[in-house]
Amino acid sequence: MKKRALLLAFSFLLLFVFTGGYQVWATMAKENYDWYCTQCHGLKGTGDGPNSRPSKYDIKQPDMSVTPRNHRSAEDMNKLSDEDMRLAIKDGGKAVSKSALMPPFGKTLTDKEIEDLVKYLRKLCNCKGK
Amino acid sequence: MSSEGARKLIVFCIALGVSIGITATTGFAGPKEGKAIFEKQNCGKCHQTQGPAKEKTFEDQMKKKGPELWYAGDKFRKEWLEEWLANPTIIRHLKYNSITEKSKGGHPSLSNAQAKDVAAYLLTLKSGAVKEGVVKEKSSPRAKLNFKKKYGCIGCHTIKKGKKKKIGGVTGPDLSEAGKRLKGDWVYMYLKKPKLFKPIKRMPVFAGIINDAEMKALAGFVASQGRKKK
Ligand code: HEC
Ligand code: HEC
Ligand code: HEC
Repeated sequence: MKKRALLLAFSFLLLFVFTGGYQVWATMAKENYDWYCTQCHGLKGTGDGPNSRPSKYDIKQPDMSVTPRNHRSAEDMNKLSDEDMRLAIKDGGKAVSKSALMPPFGKTLTDKEIEDLVKYLRKLCNCKGK
Repeated sequence: MSSEGARKLIVFCIALGVSIGITATTGFAGPKEGKAIFEKQNCGKCHQTQGPAKEKTFEDQMKKKGPELWYAGDKFRKEWLEEWLANPTIIRHLKYNSITEKSKGGHPSLSNAQAKDVAAYLLTLKSGAVKEGVVKEKSSPRAKLNFKKKYGCIGCHTIKKGKKKKIGGVTGPDLSEAGKRLKGDWVYMYLKKPKLFKPIKRMPVFAGIINDAEMKALAGFVASQGRKKK
């Protein structure tokens, strides 16, 4: 009887550690995303942040010449592999033959943080990529 | 005392007398007076005047109500500072620290005389990390291209296109008049030592990505924006 209770307690602990660990990476990735990426990719990731569409924020200025990727679009995001994303975030759009308006974050974020952002983007698009 | 020494002393006394006279007639009292005004007007409620930067997390930055001024003497041009403190305009398109709300302006303003004193005070605040005379404050086609096309600075900063139109992103401070406002040597150090002035910001770190020569040229380009060509 006592053994069973112990086992139960232990499995709860395990569950707690796992979900806790999961949430920590997800929370941190979201924090980084909200801080750095939403200014262009939009608060929801749909490509319409203030830099992309100033007029949406009542600022009279032309839209960004290249629209930041819609991170919610499974269709667009499926064209990218995880490695494509990693490169784009780390070294900027130019590293993947895209626009330099996507800036390099390799000296701002750690490799681990970038890895977590890639996972987070896969959550946003709800897609696996190629 | 030699006659040369005596002459120097006389010249010095005259200069001193003249400057005191000027001060008395224009009401310009200088840094000490400026500091008193700064304190009395509670400017420190929103502006940090003592370095170094202490922010470590996004939260630390979010707690700030205005840009730090502890390196104002490295950053700003005197004429601009005197003019702006009396007639403040919008520099950051969005409300400080926000990426959703447009700035409404309305910064507290000072009288012309007060502005001169406060400017004199702010210009005494320095980081000790900025060497002067390093950057040539001029535009070049190459630096402009780097700003727009190679490093995508324009994604977050506005500059002028032609006489009136502005282009670029809005989450970074407006740089279309940066040549009147910022010192090139500071801009260079801001890019080179990003953690020193502003450890937590939405701008990515470019140190280690842009080489030194290009960085100086970019700083020169920024510090020439909105200035009349000679
Ligand atoms: C200054 C604006 C800006 C910021 C900030 C920004 N992006 Fe982008 N991003 C863009 C633009 C513009 C594109 C589209 C480039 C193109 O299609 O040529 C893009 C494209 C992308 C792509 C797709 C790349 C590809 O190969 O098609 C990914 C992934 C991405 N961004 C992730 C991020 C992440 C993660 C962040 C935050 C760490 C971020 N971006 C911050 C502007 C920005
Ligand atoms: C309620 C908070 C608040 C108070 C009080 C305040 N400021 Fe400011 N100050 C700001 C904000 C926010 C900005 C940025 C404005 C912009 O970018 O358009 C700013 C900008 C400045 C700048 C330009 C700094 C830069 O990096 O662009 C100077 C100089 C300045 N303030 C001086 C003062 C002085 C002097 C006083 C007191 C008379 C004062 N401020 C009072 C919030 C404040
Ligand atoms: C992803 C957006 C983004 C990109 C790309 C970007 N910046 Fe910034 N920049 C900012 C933001 C936001 C600030 C204000 C930081 C703060 O004070 O909180 C800033 C501040 C600055 C300042 C200081 C201005 C002031 O008045 O305090 C300079 C100079 C500057 N950037 C130059 C550049 C240059 C040069 C590039 C290209 C190499 C660049 N920026 C790329 C967002 C960006």
